[in-house]
Amino acid sequence: MVIVKVLRKRCINLSRNYKLQLLFLILISAYQVAAQEQEQEKDYGRLYGGIESNLNYYMKDSGLGVLQPEEPFRSNNYFNLNYTYKRLTAGFQIESYEPNALLNYNPKFNGTDFGTYYIKYQSEKFDVRLGHFYEQFGSGLILRAWEDRALGINSALRGGRIKYSPNSNFDFTLLYGRQRSGFEVTDGDIYGFDADIFLGEYLNLYEKGQDLSLGFSYVGRYEKVDFENANFNELTNSYSFRFDYIYDSFYLNGEANYKEEDGIINSQGNLSNDFVEPGHAFQLNMGYSSLNYGIDVTLRRVENMQFLSEREPQTFPNSLGDVNSSLDFLDGILNFVPALTKQHHSQLANINVYQALSGVSFLDPELMGAGETGGQIDFFYSFEKGSTLGGEYGTNISINLSSWYNLPGTYTFNPPDYDVDFFGVGNKFFHDYNIGLTKKINEDWHIGASYIDQFMDYRFIDGREIVNADIIVADATYNFTETKSIRVELEKMWSTGNRKDWVGGTIEYNLNEKFSFYVWDIYNYGSDKPDERVHYLNFGGSYRKGRHRIALNYGRQRGGLVCVGGVCRFVPESSGFSLSFNTSF
Amino acid sequence: MKTLLKFTIILIIPISAISQDKLPDIDVKDLKNRTVNLKSDFSEKDKIYVFSFWATWCMPCLKELEAINEHYDEWSEELNMELVAISIDDSRTKKRIRPLVNGRNWPYTVLHDENQTLKRALSIVNIPYTLVVKNNNIEHIFNGYSQGSEEEMYKSLKKL
Repeated sequence: MVIVKVLRKRCINLSRNYKLQLLFLILISAYQVAAQEQEQEKDYGRLYGGIESNLNYYMKDSGLGVLQPEEPFRSNNYFNLNYTYKRLTAGFQIESYEPNALLNYNPKFNGTDFGTYYIKYQSEKFDVRLGHFYEQFGSGLILRAWEDRALGINSALRGGRIKYSPNSNFDFTLLYGRQRSGFEVTDGDIYGFDADIFLGEYLNLYEKGQDLSLGFSYVGRYEKVDFENANFNELTNSYSFRFDYIYDSFYLNGEANYKEEDGIINSQGNLSNDFVEPGHAFQLNMGYSSLNYGIDVTLRRVENMQFLSEREPQTFPNSLGDVNSSLDFLDGILNFVPALTKQHHSQLANINVYQALSGVSFLDPELMGAGETGGQIDFFYSFEKGSTLGGEYGTNISINLSSWYNLPGTYTFNPPDYDVDFFGVGNKFFHDYNIGLTKKINEDWHIGASYIDQFMDYRFIDGREIVNADIIVADATYNFTETKSIRVELEKMWSTGNRKDWVGGTIEYNLNEKFSFYVWDIYNYGSDKPDERVHYLNFGGSYRKGRHRIALNYGRQRGGLVCVGGVCRFVPESSGFSLSFNTSF
Repeated sequence: MKTLLKFTIILIIPISAISQDKLPDIDVKDLKNRTVNLKSDFSEKDKIYVFSFWATWCMPCLKELEAINEHYDEWSEELNMELVAISIDDSRTKKRIRPLVNGRNWPYTVLHDENQTLKRALSIVNIPYTLVVKNNNIEHIFNGYSQGSEEEMYKSLKKL
């Protein structure tokens, strides 16, 4: 029976692959004919797209305590092709996870198939699209459909969308779709409308050095509910209002979002018919910038804003005998609530990373939350060339401060309920206070340094301890010739918890503008557990020429969160080779 | 695995023959929320446009834009060129764009591709990623940056 199943799957895969090959050949030969004809100055349209390939070979590593996975060779490949002829464009993206996706990607990314496809008509005022599309309303707090391959996110909507811009002062969007999940879509029907109104011209604000724009969005999710007497509607409506005002070098913008009452899912992923609450999110951002400096302040309060395209997350058994939820793979999430903290480039500053608590989380009677509140301040300054601190080439400094807290109020564990205050803060989840400096000393030397102070309460995430960490980073680049250079970076972290103290270093050698090589290592010398006192040594190189780039790496992957844009994916510890390639055409 | 290899070979061989040489007809916003069309708003005859994709969190991007800034007055006068820095920061980090650009005194035109529509249309995988465009034709692409490689770009701009 199993053999029959495997054979059937192979047959399906093979027939899929032959179809795909045939399609490529037809498209490419069609284009070549078109290209030849084009020499006679006829418009036969334009073909464009890109390829990305990430191949890994995982190995057994007893020093790290990892076994070789059942399928040690894995790869994620993306090929997209678009063809534009006059006002029409059609395209698709084929994704190939063969023989399986890289470790800990969504198990629904399996095999080779069309990931997205679309056809679009575009005129000066209209943009009409059928098929898959990406979209974001405002800052995404009620809708963001996007792609991030490193995180394994592709939340494109499949349906139809009309964008209409009668003139440069108005943009309207109307859409319907279902959200992509693996190579399928989820059960929720998503309806959306968005309006952007630019008032600068109408109110003659440009002449006064001012600008004002307003925005409104609606997103509705319809999904059938199985409860006999449901305490909430099958259609969940959400609304968002926003404004952005600029006066010379000062700006102020804000956004208010509201999501109607909806059943809350518990930590096991089950939908409740009794724990029913509305959600909202408010964001205020302002700043002032002038020559040589800029300051920016953001405040945000989020309460019960987890918004999924299907109310109950899907579950999958994993190889360790546990159960994974689709939320572990960031699948089925309709909105975007990123952590508003600085994204550091240092290896060690990315060990204790914060993820925004967007929804209700009742882990145990001591650990209950309904969202988060807090803020972030950024300050940039450059000391001018020739000044005392600027030296011959100037000096840049940046300061970033962020603190995030639980919502203050009263929480009841059983039956679950909360009553939170709008103003004020609860216990602290996280802070990150950091300062950085970059400086060019002369034609040959560039240096940089930063200090980062982090606090993280892991109890709300996985029941672990509170961590206080201090990190220092220093880096220097020396140019031997115009394009031959070496960069050295050293890092050190003192931490009170989560594997405690680390040290790290990177050496990067740029042979010329095409070849780069590197070796880096981070070492967890301070861990209380002897088997955690390991090196994560990596080395590799990259070659780039024009639009092509290829890179090879060998080494160990630290288990933990890989984060892009404030959203994180968990990756397990692993060891092995990786090869990545990308190009466009 | 074999199928994968075949795919790659079938695909890569014709790539150089069919490379995209025009900019897509896509609207993005500037820092004052005004809509800018990539194709029609950067089409002055014989002017060289350098479109550099960056983000506030991307260290090599900041290094590249800093390095070009050192020579920018000189280059733009000598070559009739303009650098357009296109940020792909999403709503997490976009607030940092305005203060950073001013704090660092960048003289560039700065655009914002928030949900990465333009990045996707150009099939850009990693940043920094720089396109050199003249008369609406993509003349050169630089997929990455290492300290000093702005000189390579300058040489290629001079030949245009």
